[in-house]
Amino acid sequence: MTCLTQRQAIGAQVMGRFIIRRVLQAIPLLFVISVIVFVLIMNMGDPLTSFAGRNGLVKGKDRERLIRQLGLDQPIYVQYLVWLVGNDWMKIDSDGDGVAESNGTRLGVLRGDLGTSVVTRQPVLQMIWERLPNTLILMLTSEAVIVVFALGLGITSALKQYSLYDNVFTGLSFVGYSMPVPLLALGLIYIFGVYLKRAGLPYFPTVGMFEPSVGKTWEQVVWHLVLPVATLSIISIAAYSRFIRSNMLEVIGQDYIRTARAKGLANRTITLKHALKNAALPIVTLVGLDLGFLLAGALVTETIFSWPGMGRLFYDHALKSDLPVLMGVLMLISISVVFFQLLTDITYTFLDPRIRYQ
Amino acid sequence: MATLAETFTPAAQPAVPHQVYSPMQLAWRKLRRNRAAVFGLVLLGALIAYIIVGSFVFSEEYANHNDLSLRLQGPSAEHPFGTDPIGRDILARTIYGGQISLLIGLASVAISLVVGVLVGAFAGYYGGTVDSVLMRFTEAVLNIPSLFLLIIAAKYAGDKIRNFELFGREFSGSLIVIILIIGLTSWMYLARIVRSEFLSLKEREYITAAHALGVKNLRIIFYHVLPNTTAPIIVAATLGVATAILSEAYISFLGLGVRAPTATWGNMLEDATRYIENAPHIWFFPGLLILITVLAINFVGDGLRDALDPRTLTH
Amino acid sequence: MKRVFRKRNLVLGLLGVLVALVAACAPAAAPTAVPVAPTQAPAAPTQAPAPTQAPAPTNAPAPTTAPAPTQAPSTGGNKVITISYTQEANSLNPLYTNQWFTFNLFDFYLDNGLITFNDKNEPMPWIAKEIPTVENGGISADGKVITFHLRDDVKWSDGTPLTADDYVFTYQMIMSDKNTVTSRDPFDTVVASVEAKDPQTLVVTFKEPYAPWMTKIFSHLNASVALPKHILQPVFDKDGTLDNADWNRKPTVGVGPFLFKEWESGSHLTFEANPDFWLGRPKADQIFIRIVPDDSAQLAAIKAGDVDVGVFISPSDVPDLEKLGTVEIAKVQSGYKELWNFNLSTDDATKGHPALQDANVRRALVMAVDRNKIDQELLYGLTKPAVTFWDGMAQADPTIQPIKYDPEGAKKLLDDAGWKVGADGIREKDGVKLKLRYVTTTREVRQNTQAIVQQQWKEIGVDTELVNHPSDVFFNSYGDKGPIATGQYDIAEWSDAPNFPDPDTARWLCSEIPSDANPPGGNWEFLCDKELDALFQKQAQTVDANARTEIFHQIQKIIADKVYWVSIWDDPDLWTISKKTSNIKFSGATPFWNSYEWDKQ
Repeated sequence: MTCLTQRQAIGAQVMGRFIIRRVLQAIPLLFVISVIVFVLIMNMGDPLTSFAGRNGLVKGKDRERLIRQLGLDQPIYVQYLVWLVGNDWMKIDSDGDGVAESNGTRLGVLRGDLGTSVVTRQPVLQMIWERLPNTLILMLTSEAVIVVFALGLGITSALKQYSLYDNVFTGLSFVGYSMPVPLLALGLIYIFGVYLKRAGLPYFPTVGMFEPSVGKTWEQVVWHLVLPVATLSIISIAAYSRFIRSNMLEVIGQDYIRTARAKGLANRTITLKHALKNAALPIVTLVGLDLGFLLAGALVTETIFSWPGMGRLFYDHALKSDLPVLMGVLMLISISVVFFQLLTDITYTFLDPRIRYQ
Repeated sequence: MATLAETFTPAAQPAVPHQVYSPMQLAWRKLRRNRAAVFGLVLLGALIAYIIVGSFVFSEEYANHNDLSLRLQGPSAEHPFGTDPIGRDILARTIYGGQISLLIGLASVAISLVVGVLVGAFAGYYGGTVDSVLMRFTEAVLNIPSLFLLIIAAKYAGDKIRNFELFGREFSGSLIVIILIIGLTSWMYLARIVRSEFLSLKEREYITAAHALGVKNLRIIFYHVLPNTTAPIIVAATLGVATAILSEAYISFLGLGVRAPTATWGNMLEDATRYIENAPHIWFFPGLLILITVLAINFVGDGLRDALDPRTLTH
Repeated sequence: MKRVFRKRNLVLGLLGVLVALVAACAPAAAPTAVPVAPTQAPAAPTQAPAPTQAPAPTNAPAPTTAPAPTQAPSTGGNKVITISYTQEANSLNPLYTNQWFTFNLFDFYLDNGLITFNDKNEPMPWIAKEIPTVENGGISADGKVITFHLRDDVKWSDGTPLTADDYVFTYQMIMSDKNTVTSRDPFDTVVASVEAKDPQTLVVTFKEPYAPWMTKIFSHLNASVALPKHILQPVFDKDGTLDNADWNRKPTVGVGPFLFKEWESGSHLTFEANPDFWLGRPKADQIFIRIVPDDSAQLAAIKAGDVDVGVFISPSDVPDLEKLGTVEIAKVQSGYKELWNFNLSTDDATKGHPALQDANVRRALVMAVDRNKIDQELLYGLTKPAVTFWDGMAQADPTIQPIKYDPEGAKKLLDDAGWKVGADGIREKDGVKLKLRYVTTTREVRQNTQAIVQQQWKEIGVDTELVNHPSDVFFNSYGDKGPIATGQYDIAEWSDAPNFPDPDTARWLCSEIPSDANPPGGNWEFLCDKELDALFQKQAQTVDANARTEIFHQIQKIIADKVYWVSIWDDPDLWTISKKTSNIKFSGATPFWNSYEWDKQ
């Protein structure tokens, strides 16, 4: 008993150090990401187009003034610095006379100020905050559907290896895996939105999160979730279930399962208790790595179904070269990816005692 | 169908029983017995025939010929895939679009091969600081969702190259941009694979021997280690073509892909959402061709993975 | 990933799945039934099928009298008028937006432009009690000083009177370097001072006589409506800027027929009837702005009857909507016209194709394209080519004749101009091929137009290189290396308007030609026609409406004779109006100008 607690204590200590090291490693990583992305975005288009009227032109003096006021005339490293640590500690030239006379007002990302959108004039953090729940509703639902169906399909087809069922499943999973998202999404809309409607049958909504006349009730959201979730799931179920099937096959072939059979345990028990437990391990990794990218939403799917999520936010503002929003979204995603990778590693070590953190 | 198959059989000799096979021949024999892979090869052959033979049947001028009085017509005997919003024949456009889509797939994978192999080889071979700098960079790029990265890159580079003419055909400068950005945003997995291969291979005795003989590092990398990593590279590259074709489709669907006058399967899907109800044929046929192509490549790639797996090579 | 695939026994299952896919490939093997020769393009020019009349051009702005206050209507139930918006407002502070969608909202909660425009786009005195003219003494004899007498019965929603001080404060805020306002035009260029002589008298002094003042000085049209000084002056004093004022997103103190109630981002904006509106309480009780993510969402909502007013309807959706029978389509002239810009620069850095210097070549290019057919098919016959840049406005010259579709005539013109068909079917002169770089944005309808035009030009022996840029690149200035502003084109296509409903424009002024010395220049045609330039300068300083119209007629004759400007289609705004509503009359200038009269059953 004592021996065990001691081992646990050492385990916790090692684990603690492991986590700290991983977090420290993440910092330069995030720094490198931010520099790469910043440089690319800085040169990708003209944010001032957002200030233009209907014919897309910002005229004469206004243009020069805005460039100065938004700090776009500064060298790129200064702009990066301002993005990172703000400009409230330095003098800037706001009236264009060439003399820097007053302090800036930005705090910088390190102090929680993601900046203000050039397009909407709103704080970026607030904009992301508004979109986040929508994306999470869509992505978490999809992830749940994916895991449930992929486990079910993967396991049953592994148990019935080489049967007709297995072959059809494998073929279908290849088709699903190779499916371009637009084709699948448009196809689903055509069949379940347009065709059913024409036939006078109940049909699924294809646009947005809720019916404007009804409002954002949970029934509405669930109803509107069906097609986008189906789109996202079908493609991922195919990939996941193939993975699960091959893992199951490997586990089933191993000695301890054969021993279990020899002991006379029921097939069902073997499958659920022994094989599944081990086959499920790699799924944890897969899901864990996916979770980080959840925040990114599914850009193409969100666009087709007009789902107001993060992917769409990014896309809409990329078209307008809205740097603060793009940087904010990407940094948030990167942080969550790093975080979930760490979480996955930790979970994995709990689930599989053979793994040691080095 | 033979075109692609042949690339895997440089020495296509009749198989004689009890002959000693080279690893490549063994792999080919294994691949041939994999019916899914053969099916993929047949499918791929058919697609290549479609886009090559098709271009002799329909001129490019015909593919670009528009006639407003024929706009948005459904499939008919005269236009088997129907017509698009300005009355162009979609069948003919899928032929020329397919050439460009496949070109993008192959060319961008070539770029990602060069970058991925170089990064992976140097990181794995030299280790230490080189390794950690290169791998930290790789990891950083991997942490950005690939489609997001593509969008930024497409916006960044989209207007930098002018249209050009090649073989009497005019191409949009954005074609080169798309090839470059897909290539430059998809090398990371390859770099990781090559690196891990190098890590294990560089400890082998023959490499130690080469060192002792005073062979230069670069020579060791490219003449002694790299040839032994071809199997996983071939598999990754094959599957990479499928991913690249899908990437092109997505970025074009979002309106940031290859621009007019060059058609691709991907940019034929652009604005498709407008025509979901009234003209589904507009997006169905190019979408289906992308699906078939990606499916065929995945079958072949998966078959290659089996065939080139050294653990099963002796079977 | 591990090996997943078993090779034995597999194909059986796969084949079942894939038979359909293989079948779809069949045409690859035998595409015999398909005709090899391209079908002939229709030769005969189709006649423009009498499109419905565009809003008739009105005569010289006839100042109508100020609307008289009406009796407050009885409030029978809760009348909510729902408008769908495909773009969310960015800021409700007019200083910080240049978005057409937001501009329209001022007519609800910040309805204090000095002058507004009715559904015929005629000016109406609004906060100004009458339109200043030289005759009534509002405009000084030299045209440089304009005096506005303001209504004295207008109050902010918190009871504070709206006075000339609010306008002076707004001018100060626009000019303050501490505010990153969207635009200062024209306050930074032509205005010398803005003063409040007394609470009801506002005096604006100009450096030069300035004809377009009605649409530019404290107007809804350029978002220079007045801010509540008593609310925002303290904020500015405290923060040093208005950039982060709460009022920008929650303009709780407003003035107008409706007052701001709430804004839920990504969902909706609501405005409630103002019982103390100076013309009497509006007939509707609430305005509900439904934010829809895109065109398809808007279309679904209109079809479902969820919205009363739909905005910026795409022409391709009109046939479907007309079938519904529940909505009317309103076509509203907003001054915008889809146009071809010729690059007339001869400067090495920005020069266009030399052939374009010849007016006859330009005319031939226009004659070769069946613009009516393009409008008929691509735009569903909802519009037709505009004849002049000022079509639909009082200044349009009705005697100008449109250029007719005549490919044979075009060939002859080109032959006469010395551009002969070469061996490859492309015209050439002195070793220069007639190949034009045709640049536009990535919008679908423009790309389609490009492809159609390319084919029709090919038939007269003119080759084209098609280029598309995303709009944020396309519209970049010379200083930012925009492709059009730096002359990297021969023909460019986009949509542009004069200072609607004022006819002023700077797009052909010699002084606006972009160059290293003048990077923000807006004359992207690089046209410097001395005669035209003098006329444009003269009209901008001609305050008398009839004299100004006369100058514009001269301008239009020159532009038509020299083919300096060509429209592919007139670009009116399309709206849907539910038949359940009444009295909704859009103005192309200030769409919601009569919202206080809107009603619903």
